[in-house]
Amino acid sequence: MSRGSLTSVAVERSATSAAEKVPSPMLNRTFEFNFHILRLVHTRNMADETVQTLLQFSGHRHLTTRLLLSTLTGRPIRISKIRPSSTRPGLTPYETNFIRLLDSVTNGAQIQFSMTGTTLVYRPGLITGCAEGLGAIGGTVRHEIPRECARRGVSWWLIPLAILSPFSKGPVNVTIWGEGCITSSTTHGDISVDSVRTSILPLFRNFGIERNIELRVLKRSFAPSQGKSAGGEVQLVFSHQVRLPKTLHLMNKGRVKRIRGVAYAVGVSGSNNARMIEVARGVLNKFVPDTYIFSDVSPAPLIPTYSKSDPNGKTKGAVGFGLSLVAESSTNCMYSADVASPPLGGITPEDIGKQCAYQLLEKISQGGCVEVTSTETMLLLMAMGSEDVGRLCLGKDVLGTEEVVQLGRDVKVFTGAAWGLRGHSSRDESEEDEIVVSVVGRGVGNVGRKVA
Amino acid sequence: MAPKLGKRKRVTREELEQPSRSPSPSSDSQESDDEDVQALFRKAFEAKFEPLDIEPVQKKVKQDGIEHKDAEVEDEESDWSGVSSEDEDNNGVEVFDYAANNRQAHEKASKAELRAFMSSKPPTLSSSTPTAKSSATQKPSTTDSSDPTEVEHLKNDLALQNLLRESTLLSTHNPTYSTRATDAPAKPSSISTRHKIADMHMQSLGAKGSAFAQKNMPMSQRKGITAKAKLREDLRRKEAKENGIILERDTKKKKAPSSLAQRRDRGVGGPSVGKFKNGTLTLSKKDVASITRDGGGGGKGKGKKGRR
Repeated sequence: MSRGSLTSVAVERSATSAAEKVPSPMLNRTFEFNFHILRLVHTRNMADETVQTLLQFSGHRHLTTRLLLSTLTGRPIRISKIRPSSTRPGLTPYETNFIRLLDSVTNGAQIQFSMTGTTLVYRPGLITGCAEGLGAIGGTVRHEIPRECARRGVSWWLIPLAILSPFSKGPVNVTIWGEGCITSSTTHGDISVDSVRTSILPLFRNFGIERNIELRVLKRSFAPSQGKSAGGEVQLVFSHQVRLPKTLHLMNKGRVKRIRGVAYAVGVSGSNNARMIEVARGVLNKFVPDTYIFSDVSPAPLIPTYSKSDPNGKTKGAVGFGLSLVAESSTNCMYSADVASPPLGGITPEDIGKQCAYQLLEKISQGGCVEVTSTETMLLLMAMGSEDVGRLCLGKDVLGTEEVVQLGRDVKVFTGAAWGLRGHSSRDESEEDEIVVSVVGRGVGNVGRKVA
Repeated sequence: MAPKLGKRKRVTREELEQPSRSPSPSSDSQESDDEDVQALFRKAFEAKFEPLDIEPVQKKVKQDGIEHKDAEVEDEESDWSGVSSEDEDNNGVEVFDYAANNRQAHEKASKAELRAFMSSKPPTLSSSTPTAKSSATQKPSTTDSSDPTEVEHLKNDLALQNLLRESTLLSTHNPTYSTRATDAPAKPSSISTRHKIADMHMQSLGAKGSAFAQKNMPMSQRKGITAKAKLREDLRRKEAKENGIILERDTKKKKAPSSLAQRRDRGVGGPSVGKFKNGTLTLSKKDVASITRDGGGGGKGKGKKGRR
């Protein structure tokens, strides 16, 4: 796995002062130093360590899933062999940045990195949300993503945060910003913020989590090329906390009844949007006449340069255009597709529109009630539900992906309950390539709510 | 503009084939009158029954093409009449019209839709929620109507509830009601009783007060009236109890103990003791006593006496 060019060995120096919560861009330069860190965020009784044994994992893959499961189940983990043979061993900047975010919405978490950063010990704390005095200023936590983390889209941070939020003690209100905050979809496979809002957040409704959820796109941005920055800003407000999510039985995927979408252009002409929409509609209208794609044109974000000679100087961030499509079925299943122009450009809007439309059709053709980008959300929420068996119908191609298989294994390690799989016995024979996943809820749910 | 190109191409290809096989309604070719009439009929039929058209797939595709072309040709005739006629003459020419944007009118989504989808909230499933609601409301009604005994039970329940609620009125205005329970009319006999029942019903539905309550009255009179009403009520309850008659529940009792035991809910930031008014904290004797004595509350008379 290659890494960002600006990053050095991925160990970050922890700033212990209060400034850590709102790190200034100057402070972030210090991340490039190679420091060994042993980070005690909030002191915690040492008695806990003897009680709970560390769950062992290895490898850098599925890091967010494991951290998420650890936080939700409250079990400490140790992840070793994080890129041991790479020229830049250890965690990448965006991974450490994610841990930083996790730390800011929890209380009592304890994080330890080894000397080289190839081993991580994480003892989760209580998910407190954004309470005043615990890092939140004015009710919101401002989390910065520095330039060296610009390899991932902001959805990489947002989706795990959204999964954590219903189990928080208080409301979650996080603003993610910075030179590495990319709101568009990326070539890395991260979906755009619009897709998170239109296809992932509505899924929480299935679990009885639907009130006061907002995802505001304050500044749109694109994956930057060399020498540029992203500079996006997104705010996630998640104020509906529950004791236990409802048990879900989603067996019927229904039929796609409408397609919606957002075409976004940042710092480029809005006609690009029209061109993308034209082509995407041309492909999709034959299948679903109820197709509307909305257009969003915004100027390029301005990023302060912090130079001595020009203290108020600002540069324009990365520009581009992209398309996010969401198909909604008659039983409220969501399928989404995302394509954005690459950082180097050179692709016409027509190609993006067509590619995105075909991607959506492919996602729909894979079948199942959940597509691959939202399986983690659905299955984790089911696993954290009441002590009951929930069922979810997945397409074979979706279930067979590496992420879902590994998610199943990890869930088994953390909760002790494996998934049950069986073929979908539907009336018509056409749906034979679907599999019903039975997930047993853990029955613990929101620990913070239980105490309160 | 790629899809447009595709569409045009398909149309033109068909157009190339058509003159030899069948007359298309749009082509102004010099055919016999019969065929012209047929074409006209066909056009009219299509205009009327377009969505209901059930025909073999192959034909349908062809007709779709014809329709498209039809519409397009008409447009072209309005805007580009010269070009279209040229198109008819030599079939090899394809017309690319980049400017025309016929779909624009129905392409636009409504403002409400835009607001629903593009707001910061996750889009609500506007079409799905009403259906869910309607199904939820329909379900109980269907189950009720299906079972006649259930309906009967429900009716009886309602009647019993009404009877219990109105028993006070009936017994006062129609004292012999209880003895003639079986042959008593379902509706109350006297007009005043009926008004009172209506009034009660209004109150149970959330009216602020009884319509019969007199608003302004000398205090002594009001006191006397309430005292008398209370006395009467007590007597009625007592008699009913002695006779083993079950009356409606007494609702008034709750108020008295709550006002005594519970303190007014003070706002956040106010003083925990005493009254703060005009910049001065005023402590009553009771408050002072509760602070100075280590016992606090001063609930026990014995302690008080002993200390003093």
